[in-house]
Amino acid sequence: MSGSPENDFYLPPLARVAHAGHVKRCLSGLPDSQVDLDSGRMAVAFYCLGSLDLLNMVQVKTSETDRESWREWIWEQQISGNYGSGFRPGPFMSRSTQGATAHTDYDTPHIIMTYTALLTLAILRDDFSRLDKKGILSFLKACQREDGSFSTIPGSGETDLRTLYCAFVISHLLDDWSGVNVERALAFIASCRTYEGGYGQSPFCEANGGTTYIAMAAIHLAPVTSNPLTPSEKQKTIDWAVHKQHPSGGFCGRTNKVADACYCFWLGGCLKILGAGDLVDSRSLASFLATCQFKFGGIAKAPGEHPDPYHTYLSLAALSMFPPPISATEKSNGSSWTFDPLDPLINAREETAKWARSYIAIPR
Amino acid sequence: MTDYVRYVDRPGWDDVVPIEQYENGSPLAPIFYTNEYKDVANYFRGIVKTGEKSERVLELTEHIIRLNPAHYTAWQYRYETLIAIDADLEKELKLMDELAITHLKTYQVWHHRRLLMLKIRKPIPELRFIAKTFLVDAKNYHTWSYRQWLLAYFNDEDLWAGELDFVEQLLYADIRNNSAWHHRFFTVFQSGVHDGEQDRERVLKRELIYVKQSISLVPNNASAWNYLRGVLEQNSIPFSKMITFVQPYTLPMEEQTTDLVDLDNPPPSKTAHLPCALAIEFLADVYEAEGGDSMLKATELWKSLGNEHDVAHKKYWEYRIREGLRVLQT
Repeated sequence: MSGSPENDFYLPPLARVAHAGHVKRCLSGLPDSQVDLDSGRMAVAFYCLGSLDLLNMVQVKTSETDRESWREWIWEQQISGNYGSGFRPGPFMSRSTQGATAHTDYDTPHIIMTYTALLTLAILRDDFSRLDKKGILSFLKACQREDGSFSTIPGSGETDLRTLYCAFVISHLLDDWSGVNVERALAFIASCRTYEGGYGQSPFCEANGGTTYIAMAAIHLAPVTSNPLTPSEKQKTIDWAVHKQHPSGGFCGRTNKVADACYCFWLGGCLKILGAGDLVDSRSLASFLATCQFKFGGIAKAPGEHPDPYHTYLSLAALSMFPPPISATEKSNGSSWTFDPLDPLINAREETAKWARSYIAIPR
Repeated sequence: MTDYVRYVDRPGWDDVVPIEQYENGSPLAPIFYTNEYKDVANYFRGIVKTGEKSERVLELTEHIIRLNPAHYTAWQYRYETLIAIDADLEKELKLMDELAITHLKTYQVWHHRRLLMLKIRKPIPELRFIAKTFLVDAKNYHTWSYRQWLLAYFNDEDLWAGELDFVEQLLYADIRNNSAWHHRFFTVFQSGVHDGEQDRERVLKRELIYVKQSISLVPNNASAWNYLRGVLEQNSIPFSKMITFVQPYTLPMEEQTTDLVDLDNPPPSKTAHLPCALAIEFLADVYEAEGGDSMLKATELWKSLGNEHDVAHKKYWEYRIREGLRVLQT
């Protein structure tokens, strides 16, 4: 083993092919026991194809025919109506046998699904010629509420910071912020900050890694010239986030909770965005994620748990930001821990993010 | 499901035209629905198309929700139906008591409850119900979020009256429950001044004693230290005011000197694992704030954290040292 202190243990290989196998199996179908994912299928598709993208296996593991028909399926989920346009999770409320493109009050676009659909289409290198860009701007308007937050679907009271982040990424990709009231949205983010230095999901809620990532990413995406955080606020958020990394190497989502693979992304990404990515111990992070690998492929939230596309994707995204230093012995086993860089703000491989920006932007 | 009775064979459903889910040949991540789920979803789509809102819609949506509690459209349609037929919402809430415990981690269960409460407007029994769910999971985010919403939205002094006792019970059961610590902060400092809490000096003193005693029992508890920091910052009290309290926690057990009972500065318990990294970090922050020569004392403490007491965050402590020295040189 290498003499450097951070390489004082052996890092087993990352089972890249097995992980690709796991997400491909999920793409082809999920058992009925996971029927609760039906109303979030677009996100599942994103985590599966996103995993392949981060592993650099989209071209190898899928055929052009597959990709073409998947793009078709996603476009069938773009629907329009009096709330504007956007993507729904899937056809679980479809009314007719022909691909209906008009939405009803019970079959509407969904803001999180719109974000994941755009990224998935970018992974599949779609040219976005069918995207109703102006319609999406109206949809964002229909989702924003008085307090600056966004609902998941127009008119619903279901709202928290996740949806605000999605609205911001969508506006950023469209390069058009006319669909959102940025000032109000930033005020809503500020109202979710807690005494610990992190952000809760809604005002008054406990600081959580996922929503703190989202708050930081949204603030950095916002088209404002000055950072709304004071230097001491920023420092406090960094301190809080760093302390979420356990001696095991994994991150926990809240103070005194156990480590969970997904928070390696949420808190790692938060630190990266705040310019403090070098404070993450990437070697121990990788070793934690190595123990979360399921023997038949896929990455679980914790050692001994069952894998799923969500934790698989977010683990790979964390590794894309924090590839571990590798010893000479480990190198001879191949470069299983090597990744392309990730865009931490929109959560996509940099090349995919670039594609999304150039094809989705509304020409000026 | 061999004894499943399809809707077509159920009395009172023959007028509904079921609608199959439309899906093209290459769907992404399709769910392999059971026949039962397909049947009930087909009837649900059929009902939604006609816009019917009736008693039997409650039966149908309950069926769907029990199979798939994340089906947000079924919840939405159920709520609209309850309102349209002027249903007994208290009865609905009883049903929700059962479903909330079964599906504690499903957002929709709590969202629906919130909508019901906006109509029923009887939040006090809700606090008791939430307390019951904490026996299953005392850190459930949705449940806490619902409790915080109830309190802030109805903001009734009767509602707030028991909150501190409630938090104390939870912290007694698990002193590291950060959700409970957070809720304490929300209750005491972020929700206005409640009855009996008007004497803010007294409240502040009480909170400082409470958190210090908690630290003296279990020093290695980040939730308590974060609370202490939060209370000080919220009240613009410099950290240096805590130096007498904190110092013993930064020393090993054999260097503990005090046997005096000092309520303001309770010493570490005899079984404490010392020195405590969180105390060293706190003391270093005090020195850093003093600046000047004290900055060197701070860097010494950060060194000891990175090399010995908190090696998992070595990179972070090295960064604090770099930043500290940089400030010193400018």
